[in-house]
Amino acid sequence: MALIQTANLKKTYQLGHVQVPVLRGVNLSVQPGEFVAILGASGSGKSTLLHLLGGLDAPDADDFKLLFDNRPINGMNAAQLDQYRRTDVGFVFQFYHLLPELNVLQNVTIAAMTRWGWAFSSRRAEVEKRATELLRSFGLGDRLRHRPVELSGGERQRVAIARALINGPRLILADEPTGNLDRKTGAGIIDILLERRKAEGRTMIVVTHDPELAAKADRVVRIVSGVIE
Amino acid sequence: MYQLLLTRVYLTSKIMPLLASVGLGLCTALVLVVWSVMGGFLTTLLSSGRVFAGDATINWPAGIPHYEALIKKLEADPAIGAVAPIIDTFGVVKLPDDRIEGVRIVGIEGKSYSRVVDFDKALWWRPIKEALPKDRDRKDPRLNPDEQDWQAIYENSISLTKPDRVTGERVPAAVVGIELSGMTQRDGAGYYTPVGLAKPRPDGSVQNLDLYLHNHQIVLNIIPQDSQGRLMTPTSKPLPVAGEFRTGIFEIDRRTVFVQLAELQRLMLMDAVAGVKSSPSGAFNPYENVAPDGTSLGNVETTGATPARVSTLVLRAEEGFTPDDVRQSAMRVYTEFAEEFRGSVPQAFQINNPRGVKTWAMQMSTLVNAVEKETALVLSLFWFITIVCSALILAIFWAMISEKTKDIGILRAIGASRAGIAGMWISYGAILGVVGVALGLGLAYIVVLNINSIHDWLGYSLGLYVWDPRVYYFSKIPDRVNPANALIVAGAGIGFAVLGSIIPAMRAAFIRPVTALRFE
Ligand SMILES: Nc1ncnc2c1ncn2[C@@H]1O[C@H](COP(=O)(O)OP(=O)(O)OP(=O)(O)O)[C@@H](O)[C@H]1O
Ligand SMILES: [Mg+2]
Repeated sequence: MALIQTANLKKTYQLGHVQVPVLRGVNLSVQPGEFVAILGASGSGKSTLLHLLGGLDAPDADDFKLLFDNRPINGMNAAQLDQYRRTDVGFVFQFYHLLPELNVLQNVTIAAMTRWGWAFSSRRAEVEKRATELLRSFGLGDRLRHRPVELSGGERQRVAIARALINGPRLILADEPTGNLDRKTGAGIIDILLERRKAEGRTMIVVTHDPELAAKADRVVRIVSGVIE
Repeated sequence: MYQLLLTRVYLTSKIMPLLASVGLGLCTALVLVVWSVMGGFLTTLLSSGRVFAGDATINWPAGIPHYEALIKKLEADPAIGAVAPIIDTFGVVKLPDDRIEGVRIVGIEGKSYSRVVDFDKALWWRPIKEALPKDRDRKDPRLNPDEQDWQAIYENSISLTKPDRVTGERVPAAVVGIELSGMTQRDGAGYYTPVGLAKPRPDGSVQNLDLYLHNHQIVLNIIPQDSQGRLMTPTSKPLPVAGEFRTGIFEIDRRTVFVQLAELQRLMLMDAVAGVKSSPSGAFNPYENVAPDGTSLGNVETTGATPARVSTLVLRAEEGFTPDDVRQSAMRVYTEFAEEFRGSVPQAFQINNPRGVKTWAMQMSTLVNAVEKETALVLSLFWFITIVCSALILAIFWAMISEKTKDIGILRAIGASRAGIAGMWISYGAILGVVGVALGLGLAYIVVLNINSIHDWLGYSLGLYVWDPRVYYFSKIPDRVNPANALIVAGAGIGFAVLGSIIPAMRAAFIRPVTALRFE
């Protein structure tokens, strides 16, 4: 049984009077625990697809299927969608997207705060311990109180990964996690992601231009002119 | 939870919203200071104006006969502490420099009047030892015992009499509002000094007048009415002046003359007179043969006395009763009284209405309304400024949210709800409100409690007297903060801060995560 299942998924942007079809009917199934790499030219709609899978955007209203664990993501109401984003999915963005005013530790624990709401107070110690362990295992043990601006790109990306992992989601959606990094740093980040995946049996969908990363995937799919080849 | 964290972080890292909060604080301080001072001004004004108003009055200008009986009944009522009969009428007065002024003439009976109002406190000319607070050079003439015999003037004023210049016998005298004669002038420090008036002699030369009104006499011109309100022969009466009073309310101090009740009753023809029937012979002098109690002394047949009348009874409340209680009691008692003296006194329905029986507040309602309107006007102006402050918060939040669009998108992407995001900005606004208001209240309290020293300092060092006692009639600026007002201002300040944050918060809540994430 697939964890993610899409059929005939379409997304068209409206630019003035011009319709720009980006996804023209994506059919994709991802099994639990699978690691799928998505390749495609720039502008081919890879980020768009991840946003749809992560419930951040809605696909065209057409006859389509978009299921997570057999539940239609498009059928969720606002509260369920928030719940889905905070517990089931961990997003790693292409450009880190950390909150500049928060330090490293806070940038990680804030995801747990959105998950637990006011009940977070009673879990604070536990969450902070887990966040510290994660960051330590990423080699950031001595940078907990630093602001994102004080970190290098690779370090920031590792913080973003720790944030995606803190709530123990079943699905990781990573958008070019190594895109801005040199090869060596990129490789280090791939190792971190993969190590976690094996240890915890997590499903991963990773968008990448990086052949080294793609080579480690269970399966590689390509988006060409809006469909998966 | 993340709301708390981010609000805390933004509070310590963002300077603009804090500046807006300080602005809001200044606005609330301004509102509270103005409200306290103006409100205090109103209170002071009322308590000064109240000096002669008692707590309530019963009023029938044509005269209430048998008023001694009514007073006895009224004083038996538990709500009513004391009652004074007075005549409250109008007349024209000729002043020592031959100026003519229309005035309110009030006839009082020293003893009973003092039981109802603080007549004694209002008397201005008296010996004093302590100079007024701003009179640093001790220029107040009352400080100098050699200037005039202040003690004698004070005692004359209380009794409304004065020793006759020739015989030394005490004769009725008037006590006049201090602003009426124009012979003295109020200084910035709050005391009065003589101006020095003159008047022309018939031969064209100029005569300098004695500096003080109490060394002169005035002439009262009065038009009496009978009990049905018909005009009778006008009378003119020269009266020596015993002294002057000051309530602090210009209109009262400029247009009031006190005289003895008995004297005014005589002048107004409201005193007791015997009625007579003409004898068959026709010729008689009614005043020669009738004793004051109305009994006949000779060949004239009397028909009983017409009782003395007063126009007004001034009532003081017993401890623990409000002016409204007194008014209610007065109307109840009057009904009984009218029943008892049916036919010879005004009927209950004539008296028991808002014109006949008034509390002091009703009596002063024009003045009160004027000051209240003015306060409301000024306050609404300042509230407007506070609303502008709220708009300032709106603008700053709007800009901040534009800048933070991406962060909001990130929060939404990791599962923050719309309500959560909106709540964050609103609570941020509320906290800014609380910070600003706390600052503002603190500042307002400091300013109001020390307003007199601040004002003195301003005057002392910069020569800047905003509150000139010549204009404002009180030498001290009101310096109390009403806690209820402070609470309202605080609530409104926070409310406006929240109001200012609501629209930006809504905007933040409706930012679409994808758009926000693509935002650079
Ligand atoms: N809000 C939008 N309005 C209009 N067009 C958009 C919008 N968002 C994305 N697009 C267009 O959709 C196409 C796909 O964008 P997307 O970001 O998914 O590409 P991508 O495959 O992730 O590219 P890259 O490898 O450069 O990140 C692009 O041509 C982009 O211009
Ligand atoms: Mg992309």
